[in-house]
Amino acid sequence: MDLSNKAIAKEPDKDKPIEPEPKKNAPAAPSTETLAARHDIARSLLERGARAAKHALALDLLEKVHEPVGEYPYRGWETLYREQWKYDSFGRTTHSINCTGSCTWKVYVRNNIAFKEEQYADYPDINPALPTYNPRGCQKGANYKEYVYGPQRVKYPLIRTGKRGEGKWRRASWDEAMSYIADRIVSAISDYGPDTVTFYSANPAKFLVSYAAGARLANLIGGVVCSFYEWVSDLPPGEPMTWGVQTDSCEAADWFNSKYILIWGSNLLETRIPDAHFVTAARMHGTKIVAIFPEYNPVSIHADIFIPVKPGTDGALALGMANVIVNEKLYDENYLKQFTDLPVLVRIDNGKFLRESDVVSGGETRNFYFRDESTGKPQLAPGTIGCQDRTLELGAINPSLEGTFMADTLTGKVEVTTVFSLLKKKLEDYDPASVSGITGVDAGLITLIAREFASTKPARIIAGAGVNHYYHNDLINRSMILLAALTGNVGIPGGGFDHYVGQEKFWCEEGFFKLAYPLGNTKQRFQPTTLWTYVHSNIEGDQEGRDLWPRPIGEYIRESVEKGWMPLYPGGTLDSGKTPRVLIVWGANYLNQAKGAEHILANLWPKLDLIVDIDFRMNTTGLYSDVILPSSSMFEKWDLSTTDLHSYITPLTPIIPPQLDSRTDWQIFLHLARALSDTKFSYTDTLPDGSKISRDFSTLENDFTSNGTLAQDKSAGQFILDNSVETKGMTMDMLDHQPGRYAATGEGWTSDIKKEEAYHAFQRMYELKLPLNTLTGRQQFYIDHDWFLREFHEELPVYKPPVDGTKYPLRFLTPHGRWSIHSLWRDAKYQLRLQRGYPIVYLNPDDAAARGLSDNDPVEIYNDNGTIIANLCISPRMPQGLAMMYQGWERYNFKKGGFQSPTTIRIKPTQLAGNYGQLKFKVNYWGPTGNQKDTRVEIRKFMEAE
Amino acid sequence: MPVKKQIRMVADLNKCLGCHTCTMACKTMWTDRNKGQMHMYWNNVETRPGKGYPQDWELQGGWFNVTDKRSIPLPGISESYGAPWEYNYEEVMKSNGGDSRASILVPRPRPSGNAYASNWDEDVGGGTFPNSYYFYLPRICNHCTDPPCVDACPRQAVYKREEDGIVLVDQKRCRGYRYCVKGCPYKKIYYNPEEKIAQKCIFCYPRIEQHKGNFCATQCVGRIHYVGFAEDPESAAYKLVNKWKVALRLHPEFKTEPNVFYIPPLSPPAYTAEGRLTEKMRIPIELLAKLFGDTQDQTPDQRIARIEEIFGIIQAERNKVRSGGHSELIDILIPHSERDRIQV
Repeated sequence: MDLSNKAIAKEPDKDKPIEPEPKKNAPAAPSTETLAARHDIARSLLERGARAAKHALALDLLEKVHEPVGEYPYRGWETLYREQWKYDSFGRTTHSINCTGSCTWKVYVRNNIAFKEEQYADYPDINPALPTYNPRGCQKGANYKEYVYGPQRVKYPLIRTGKRGEGKWRRASWDEAMSYIADRIVSAISDYGPDTVTFYSANPAKFLVSYAAGARLANLIGGVVCSFYEWVSDLPPGEPMTWGVQTDSCEAADWFNSKYILIWGSNLLETRIPDAHFVTAARMHGTKIVAIFPEYNPVSIHADIFIPVKPGTDGALALGMANVIVNEKLYDENYLKQFTDLPVLVRIDNGKFLRESDVVSGGETRNFYFRDESTGKPQLAPGTIGCQDRTLELGAINPSLEGTFMADTLTGKVEVTTVFSLLKKKLEDYDPASVSGITGVDAGLITLIAREFASTKPARIIAGAGVNHYYHNDLINRSMILLAALTGNVGIPGGGFDHYVGQEKFWCEEGFFKLAYPLGNTKQRFQPTTLWTYVHSNIEGDQEGRDLWPRPIGEYIRESVEKGWMPLYPGGTLDSGKTPRVLIVWGANYLNQAKGAEHILANLWPKLDLIVDIDFRMNTTGLYSDVILPSSSMFEKWDLSTTDLHSYITPLTPIIPPQLDSRTDWQIFLHLARALSDTKFSYTDTLPDGSKISRDFSTLENDFTSNGTLAQDKSAGQFILDNSVETKGMTMDMLDHQPGRYAATGEGWTSDIKKEEAYHAFQRMYELKLPLNTLTGRQQFYIDHDWFLREFHEELPVYKPPVDGTKYPLRFLTPHGRWSIHSLWRDAKYQLRLQRGYPIVYLNPDDAAARGLSDNDPVEIYNDNGTIIANLCISPRMPQGLAMMYQGWERYNFKKGGFQSPTTIRIKPTQLAGNYGQLKFKVNYWGPTGNQKDTRVEIRKFMEAE
Repeated sequence: MPVKKQIRMVADLNKCLGCHTCTMACKTMWTDRNKGQMHMYWNNVETRPGKGYPQDWELQGGWFNVTDKRSIPLPGISESYGAPWEYNYEEVMKSNGGDSRASILVPRPRPSGNAYASNWDEDVGGGTFPNSYYFYLPRICNHCTDPPCVDACPRQAVYKREEDGIVLVDQKRCRGYRYCVKGCPYKKIYYNPEEKIAQKCIFCYPRIEQHKGNFCATQCVGRIHYVGFAEDPESAAYKLVNKWKVALRLHPEFKTEPNVFYIPPLSPPAYTAEGRLTEKMRIPIELLAKLFGDTQDQTPDQRIARIEEIFGIIQAERNKVRSGGHSELIDILIPHSERDRIQV
């Protein structure tokens, strides 16, 4: 058959009959397999379309087209796609998913179905000289609708009928489910105490109202609210240690102000998709981008230099750079004198700071000294915690940065030196050649980037989970912060150390706390979750971990708990073996994401009499719980979302009504409050501080709604806006119209927010000379706490290698990836179809060959903690010795195990420390991290059993 | 007759995040409504080096570059595009309640053996660590000036609009012969086996008609896309292609004159065997020259020279801005709002 154009044009339909007319011209309804209602609408649309099509095609005479380029005559059909793009209305929302995006989205609705998501793209610009924030979003946000209508959605309250995890459920009414839960809460409180009732959610910032709902009920009934930030190891402990802040990072627009950026273990292109353009734009603007990662990744492909560092040796690399900067005197001396503890005097005899109480009878223990260059005498440093004068202004003092001096004390003369001198000595261990041996990075290259970093201002380190999920994350943080401080970059636009993992930090803190903890923060039992999970899951520490600690880990835990450094609920756990009884999880997937998952299932789970999971989606925690309550999706409620990546408050609004039998989190906890009111239970609660509260549940519903004023989600949101300095004067309706930029910053921030300037951290320290909340009032690199000095030798940043031993050959990393936000979208088929459809683990070709493995082979990934079965993806972007699986897969994605099965929990005792300046427990600010990158595995081919 | 105006798009690969927001923006708007569209990505993003989507599409040929037109294969859904997996949600989730045992969520058909999917080799790339390399290549229909799909269609159901040069398949007139699928060397026309017709990227014409950008471009969070008319010298797309000459066609040797252009990707320098940094970019320039060029008759050496020239221009303009100067090119590459990228 001659297929030339000419021949066919003559006899168009000869060789093929016209096929029966399919229903093809229908402007089909959005998506297919969904809810019943959706099907009906789809059907009616299809029928309507088919009728129209039949009419239009009644006559199918094939007229010849003279010129299909430019003169095609039969264009009437083009209405088809115009119809497909028609909508009745649209609304604004965002996604409460802990991704840090907080992106404002426009959702188009037709026939009451939300069918298309597009970025709203209307954030007001900060400054025309900066790239705009619009449009913010990603491929996950563009497909949230799959969850709104998909089979993953929890449709109505479910109560377990079989064994936990067995998958047997019955439908319950809301009233029944609520009394079921209320009765068990009351029993737990009356039989075992209120501190056996535990509430876990991940992170207020992503959904201030929904988070506040559960926390508010906990606060009113006396329950325990768990932390999340250090538990998920997103807290950079080096920040509270050095700066006395939880975390303070610049908003993404300030990246554009940098001239030199080390992107260090922060895979921005995959994990900060809405913000990554500020880096690619900065690069075009002439900023030098240096990517430091163990594997070649999407950030590396857009870098000017890719530095392959051996995993877990980042701290050594930072100290190697510091060595160059100090030896070559590339540091900013004046800056160090004013804004760091490097000129502060330390006693050589005991390694402690020289304190005022050493020198003057009745002197403050929290006042410290410089040596004044001009007088040669010790001078009290301004701005320390013990100092009345809240300023870092040095006045006439010119502190010595280096040297050894004699100082008079109450007990005679002692030899003192400066932190800088001690640091300089310590850094001698980290010359580029030695560091090259540890990190695998060429010594010349270490010197090069150290010099460039020190000589290009402003320079910034962007750090993330890649360097923070290690056991020694605090040391890694401190070493990197040191680089930013040595070069005088902390506090200036475009400069500093900025850490991004988790949507931890929230604007509107004040209003949120008032809503979430109506009786006050101080009357709330907060629990550092790593400690709680560790103790109640009976994790003793693996064999290889034993030599991590000079004393058994249990001794440190006991000392910390007994001294009141860290709370551990229920009270008496360590002595009487008390255990938690009730766990309520909402807006989080605790079980799936938990390090040491196998230990939790085996040991913690059986201790719990009731596990409740509240979610819009069936997740692993739900599958292993006792009661599942369906919450509204993000298209169906009023709420507020904030992030540290930008300075706008972003609302969720009800674009469609709650689907099926779902309710908003606020209404669910209100309903639970009502069910608890019905029990008329009352008791007198003795709080850990000894104070007593009389709790009468019969008024609980009224207390929850503040006598009806907070009965609606929208009014709860408005309450937050009204009570926060950031959002005073804003209304929920105004935000629905357009998200606003914050007007001011509260105390949780280290900088003022200025018109036309991107937010960056530590402006109040640098510009206004205001002290930090550290013991010394300045960036503190020396920590003279006894544990640090005597037991762990971490008074200064040092390098310590990963702690996972050598029994298994492959380091197992589970980084955040582009295709999911934790477990969300791990089960969404439109996402899965753009991957390999199931969990994969990346391996270097030589490692695969050495094990006789081929691409896509099913493999077992195993160590002493557990085993996973997944499929192999072989790629030369991986170095040898590294196995990498993007995290978040649900347990039901695996034939065996979960992605956390090979992990355990290893508590670093220094992170249990307290009673020391900035080192004191505050929820999500200070506590032991649940790190997991110090994990090694082996991989072998999985053979299906016969 | 030539069209009156021709729509164009430029993609700056130095800013592509590989995030697939474009893919999802397109998918959720145009091709998630019936079963026959599930394997289609009118917009897709592929990792290069890699086999692309559909698998090995570059090797399959098209109307103008294959002498024996009968030899052009038709891509099969599961082996070339990748089977659009379905999942056993009800079995696993029991979100309606129910009594079966918990089980594993598995894709059907299971991707085993020589499995493939539209993004199967994502981030796999080439080279040897630490000199590994790859980049992202987003692709839509090129709305070619000389579209082979138009010539290939026996029913003359494929045409090019006079007002914007958008190439469309008349959904009423098409009978699903699939010559257009074969005819397109970029394999950007798809067969819908349910509806038994061909479907393809429509450049979001209902939006272009309202002077709004196509979704893959407006929703792009990397801000890599520039859309304008070839006849509009004020448009950013025109300036990148015609004035600064930093954008190239993908496989111009296919002789179709694509109207989608790409700014080729820079890459970080390679290391020597001893771990010393070199000055040589790690993506082999020959690999880029195989993909990108200006015209159908350029020699490989000419293409290499052009890519080197473009890299030189970009680096020089970066340096100019770094030292405080102003550059029109950099201003375009750092779009400050959608208006700077999209002029339709």
